[in-house]
Amino acid sequence: MSIAFRRAVIVTLLAVLVPILAACGGAAQTEVVRETVVVVQTAEPVRETVVVEQTVVAEPEPSAPVTGGAFTTPHPILSDINVRQAIAYCTNRPELIASVYPFLDEEQQAGLLMDTFIPKSHWAVNNDVTTYPFDPEQGQALLDEAGWTGSPTRSNADGDLLALSFTTTNAQFRQTWSAVFIQQMAACGIQVIPTYAPGSWWFGSSTGLSRRDFELGAFAWVGQTDPAGRTLYACNQIPTPENNWEGQNYMGWCNERASQAIVAANNTLDRDERIRQYAIVQEEFANDMVSLPVFNRLEAEAASNRIQGYIADPTEYYTANIQEWTLTDGDTVVLGFTQEPATLWSLIESAAVQRTAAFLLSYPFATEYSYDYQAKGQTELSTIESGLATNEDIEVTAGDIIWNIDGEAVELAPGVTVVDANGETITYESGTVTLKQLVATYNFVEGQVWEDGEPLKQADFELAYSINCDPDSGAVSFATCNSIAEIDFSSDTSYTVTYLPGVQWPTYFLAPIGAYPSHQEVSDGRLLADVPASEWSSLPEIVEQPLSNGPFILESWEKGQSMTFRANPNFFLGEPEIKTVVVKFIADTNQAVAQLLTGEVDVLGSETLGAGPEVETVLQAGAAGDIQAFTIASSTWEHIDFNLNIR
Amino acid sequence: MVAFLVRRIFQMFVVTIVAALLSYGLLYLVPGGPVDALLAERQNSGQDRINQADIQRVQQRFDLDVYLPFRFTRWLIGWPSGPLFGSVGADWAIGCQTPGQVRLVYPDGTFELVEEGCADYLTLAELEGRRVSRGVFFGDFGVSQVILRDRPVSDLIATRLPYTLSLMGASILLAILIGVPIGIYSAVKQYSRFDYTMTTIAFIGSSLPSFVFGIFAILIFSVLAQRAGLPFLPPGDAVGVRDYTIPWIGTVQAGSFLDRFLRFLMPVSVLTFINIAGWSRFVRGSMLEVLQQDYVRTARAKGVREQVVITKHALRNSLIPFVTLLAGVLAALFGGALITESVFNWPGLGRLFIDALGRNDYNVVMALLFINVVLLLIGILITDILYTIVDPRIRLG
Repeated sequence: MSIAFRRAVIVTLLAVLVPILAACGGAAQTEVVRETVVVVQTAEPVRETVVVEQTVVAEPEPSAPVTGGAFTTPHPILSDINVRQAIAYCTNRPELIASVYPFLDEEQQAGLLMDTFIPKSHWAVNNDVTTYPFDPEQGQALLDEAGWTGSPTRSNADGDLLALSFTTTNAQFRQTWSAVFIQQMAACGIQVIPTYAPGSWWFGSSTGLSRRDFELGAFAWVGQTDPAGRTLYACNQIPTPENNWEGQNYMGWCNERASQAIVAANNTLDRDERIRQYAIVQEEFANDMVSLPVFNRLEAEAASNRIQGYIADPTEYYTANIQEWTLTDGDTVVLGFTQEPATLWSLIESAAVQRTAAFLLSYPFATEYSYDYQAKGQTELSTIESGLATNEDIEVTAGDIIWNIDGEAVELAPGVTVVDANGETITYESGTVTLKQLVATYNFVEGQVWEDGEPLKQADFELAYSINCDPDSGAVSFATCNSIAEIDFSSDTSYTVTYLPGVQWPTYFLAPIGAYPSHQEVSDGRLLADVPASEWSSLPEIVEQPLSNGPFILESWEKGQSMTFRANPNFFLGEPEIKTVVVKFIADTNQAVAQLLTGEVDVLGSETLGAGPEVETVLQAGAAGDIQAFTIASSTWEHIDFNLNIR
Repeated sequence: MVAFLVRRIFQMFVVTIVAALLSYGLLYLVPGGPVDALLAERQNSGQDRINQADIQRVQQRFDLDVYLPFRFTRWLIGWPSGPLFGSVGADWAIGCQTPGQVRLVYPDGTFELVEEGCADYLTLAELEGRRVSRGVFFGDFGVSQVILRDRPVSDLIATRLPYTLSLMGASILLAILIGVPIGIYSAVKQYSRFDYTMTTIAFIGSSLPSFVFGIFAILIFSVLAQRAGLPFLPPGDAVGVRDYTIPWIGTVQAGSFLDRFLRFLMPVSVLTFINIAGWSRFVRGSMLEVLQQDYVRTARAKGVREQVVITKHALRNSLIPFVTLLAGVLAALFGGALITESVFNWPGLGRLFIDALGRNDYNVVMALLFINVVLLLIGILITDILYTIVDPRIRLG
């Protein structure tokens, strides 16, 4: 068969098949009138290559969003403060809380309510802000005032319905309270159309929230002991296409007073001043109602009745005081972890299970109970007020190494942006500029020893500094290391850090560098101090069997099953009363609860217990007196963001 | 036979590569991953703010800055690990360290930044010195990236393998020993009370997922039994960490044979039950088909005793299709029971696989998938060979 003949056959077949397939597409189309349309936005744009900074994620200059750019058109509904406040008044938050935590009593439910972005028990909370108690009449009045009238769904004079899309994840927990929220909105005449998206889309790095692809968006933030917040509420942190979606101010909220306050709060070390600045941000946040705080999530922890001295806290791990626990019966405690720690080297792992286990093997310099800091291994927090730190003005000039606004150590040169001593953000041009320079001395409690009896000494701190700041160590961030201009190890119990001009870490009073046992001999005969940083992440003496200076010593680690710790007889505060701590790895929450109820496990932390239906079972067992059950208003809080602009 | 084996082994080799390639590609296409997890940490971050250099370090650790085809070959055969022959192609780009950015300026003056192309390519020379395994084809599965960070995947698998083999081996063996006779008897006594009972139980076993059985078993035989003061079984784990007392039995020492046996009972029972449910139905159907064959009728017509008809004429032929089911046994033995192991906190490979998937430990996931593919293919090969033994009519070639 010739090629020409084959081609002819194919063409013929196509000629027959294509019309048939086309006809299968549906009914014949009516004749279309073609008009030429000038599409401005979709015209081929001019392409300009951007020089990508090699080491730093580009951060926009502090300024208002680009005028006329994307996301500068006010949202036709949500840009009206009356509508936002109406939504807040129409939201019965206690009812939302009850929908997901029906097993809590009213007082416990009320304990989860939030009015600002800072939890009620936080040192920076401002309780004197506008609140939005459930008041549907007030909400409806505001909607009437805004020109949205009628029922069942309100509309404006143009006949546009008061309808908003609502996006959140497909987690059952969120779907539950969202369904109630939608009903509450409907009662006020607001139609809410939900989208329950997969978390991978909603929280994806280039989809959903990060692209501000929502009108009403529900998700959670995690509150911290240091509230930070600049990336969330400053005007220059609004993600837009122009700044490559940098920032987390997804609402597009730019309130100059609040923006200046949040920047100021993060550029001063004076706690009273920080409280004042955060108070301003919270006040504006509540007045503008750009994000409705719904509630703190509930966390639960459980401990056997045998344990005394257990502390359940939203910002500190439960093992932080394990050396103080006592038992009414026996000398062994079994802790249930949801996951096996990847390593016991805290530098390269930040998972909760790692931190919880690490407290057994090391005595912390400070703890973070109740959204605040308490000195432990440090003699006291190295605050300016205590006289252990200074924050003096220093003049710098071109060529000096300083800390710029992007959070990196750079040579001062024209074009470099810094925060000066007055807290003003300036771009350096020439001459001298005055910056703050922080110097802090960290003193440690005397008598701390390793499990082999060797005291902590200067060489141990020096080793920690050299390893932790080595780029080959495997650590993710070196921000702290890079911010240090000089460190002076003056004795076995003290060192002084001089930070680069411009560094203003809010938590400067916490010792940034720990200690490693420089005297320890590893299996091949080398001293730990002689092992290069690149080997540490796979060194058994570091990742699997680290020398302890904490209340317990790791005796064995059955991979995938358990770790066994024995009381450290050389612990400098005295051998703990509990002689054995076993950590079991239980991934499945049902299994973990079953082990708790059958006495196989003594403690389940919030990371293991989760927030699912198992919590109710545990609380019931607690109420029956079988175990101790603790509920905590979690530092994680649900909220609904209002997107103030459309693209 | 030799030609068949050579051809099959070649086919297995190709299938293994294709399967590995597809699973490797799909694994990395899944949304999320270590960089997304790192970026999520930027939320409201203060002192330890993540910057581009931090992202690059994470990408390097997971080889994410290497283009997927090269990443795959590095995993498969440990190549490339630097310039070819020491110096050739030192500046060849085989990955991208920093994505390029393009500013699109629209006619109305608005613009947007989009990622496009690459601003900083990764060259072969830059790969030199970076940690790479010898390749799975040479038995090196690399190091665990998350679960036991920087320690060999083979060590991780070795700690879990005995538990999976014991659990799966016992349950499969028990399921065959119990399920096959049940299936045969149900077929022989079709529509009897026994048949109806077994059919009902088999439907329940096939329909309910294993975690439901698991949770019910834990609730009934552990939690409720203990509360009622009855003898109870420990709810999970392979071995206890402290002694416990069971009514009527006494104190059970943690780590003793009795302790291990008691913990073994529930997961193995659940798995056995589920396997029996499926396999007994299969054997029953197969047996029924054979019993209706002419040669069975002929045997009966010739006056052969019913027991001989069943065991000699029908049974052997009915088991031929059953052999195909056994192809997956080898892989199942190794793969473990994903859900059951999790429900009972059994420290096997199934639980490890789920853990590794959830925590983006790509090397562990791929090692388990790869071994499973190889074992499944070996299982199929063995099945084909077994076919010639159980069915003389079949010739390989």
